[in-house]
Amino acid sequence: MKHLLTITIAFALSITAFGGCTTSSESSSSQTPQASPGKTAVERNDAKGDGAAAAKVTQIGADGLRQLLAVKRPLLINFWATWCEPCRDEFPDLVAIDRDYRSHGLEFITVSLDDAAEIERAVPQFLREMRATMPTYLLNVADPETAITAVDPEWSGALPATFLFDESGRIVYKHFGRINPAELRAAIERTLKR
Amino acid sequence: MRKKGAFALLLVALCGVAVAWQNSGAKMGGIKLGDRMPEAKLVDLNGRARSLGSLRGKNGTLLLFIATRCPVSNAYNARMAKIAEEYGARGIAVVGINSNVTEPADEVKRHATEHNLKFTILKDDGNKLADMLGAQVTPEAFLFDASGKLVYHGRIDNAQDEAKVQSHDLRDAIEAVLAGRPVAKAEARAFGCSIKRAS
Repeated sequence: MKHLLTITIAFALSITAFGGCTTSSESSSSQTPQASPGKTAVERNDAKGDGAAAAKVTQIGADGLRQLLAVKRPLLINFWATWCEPCRDEFPDLVAIDRDYRSHGLEFITVSLDDAAEIERAVPQFLREMRATMPTYLLNVADPETAITAVDPEWSGALPATFLFDESGRIVYKHFGRINPAELRAAIERTLKR
Repeated sequence: MRKKGAFALLLVALCGVAVAWQNSGAKMGGIKLGDRMPEAKLVDLNGRARSLGSLRGKNGTLLLFIATRCPVSNAYNARMAKIAEEYGARGIAVVGINSNVTEPADEVKRHATEHNLKFTILKDDGNKLADMLGAQVTPEAFLFDASGKLVYHGRIDNAQDEAKVQSHDLRDAIEAVLAGRPVAKAEARAFGCSIKRAS
């Protein structure tokens, strides 16, 4: 019995570590974007990674967001806005995570929920201040419900929100509110090791 | 057989722990459509203890989670004031709830005065009511009918910019309640500020 218990715990922990347990949203293939092998990785703001290039922000709608969710995996997405204090607080940690994991195969994009008028003002200015090089998009939708559901039916729409998708398009980690960098890094490492 | 059962139970328990861990930061739970308005005692902006039950309206009760520093919530100040005025006269009690640990009661009181928010506002210390309801974002509405059942949950409308509003979700729900009709769209979401919880 003792032997069986040890095997059981080891097995269960390995499943846990590799994301074998799913929430209802994660197990719903109709709601979760699927991997699209034909797509290429999104272009980086600054290929050199020194943050010196002008921060480019691309406007997208709900369809554009769906296409982004289908890019090369694993994929980390952070939803933020310049008016959101915890979003601004966590951004330096996100920039560091991008810098540390981009060469290990992590695709990282950020999506701003600022007003469309800020696409050439507050958003690129903030990205420059942060020396951020992740591809950044500004989501401009008439009805936010569709976009929120496309990402995660369990998301309330509160910012910031961070989602990590594995190579099969499943959400393996999500965090609403300011991230805990160590926790997010651990999730990324588990995902990249698969 | 007993060993297999123990194995399955242990696996289920560990999966539960893993899901909770993977969804860190998410406050799951709260109430669902059809559930009753919970009872809670909170303090108003004059320091007086008020029970939610004592604030219920004859025809329904609207709880609005609001903030002083959230630009999204602030974009709705005039709309919220108008809803409270219009529907207060028709028997819907509107109660504002501030659960942000970062926004003290005196700031909430000053903000209400500056923005002409005349409806009752309660300070939800320790975010107990936000946790009970599962409130996550500001602004966020919970509409209860006259019998106290949750009939609508979510956004006020689809756009922060009032000129771009196409879907008056909360108003439609209130009108349905007043007309004794079922609410056609009982849940709708929008982007907003996360509620700054004490824990």
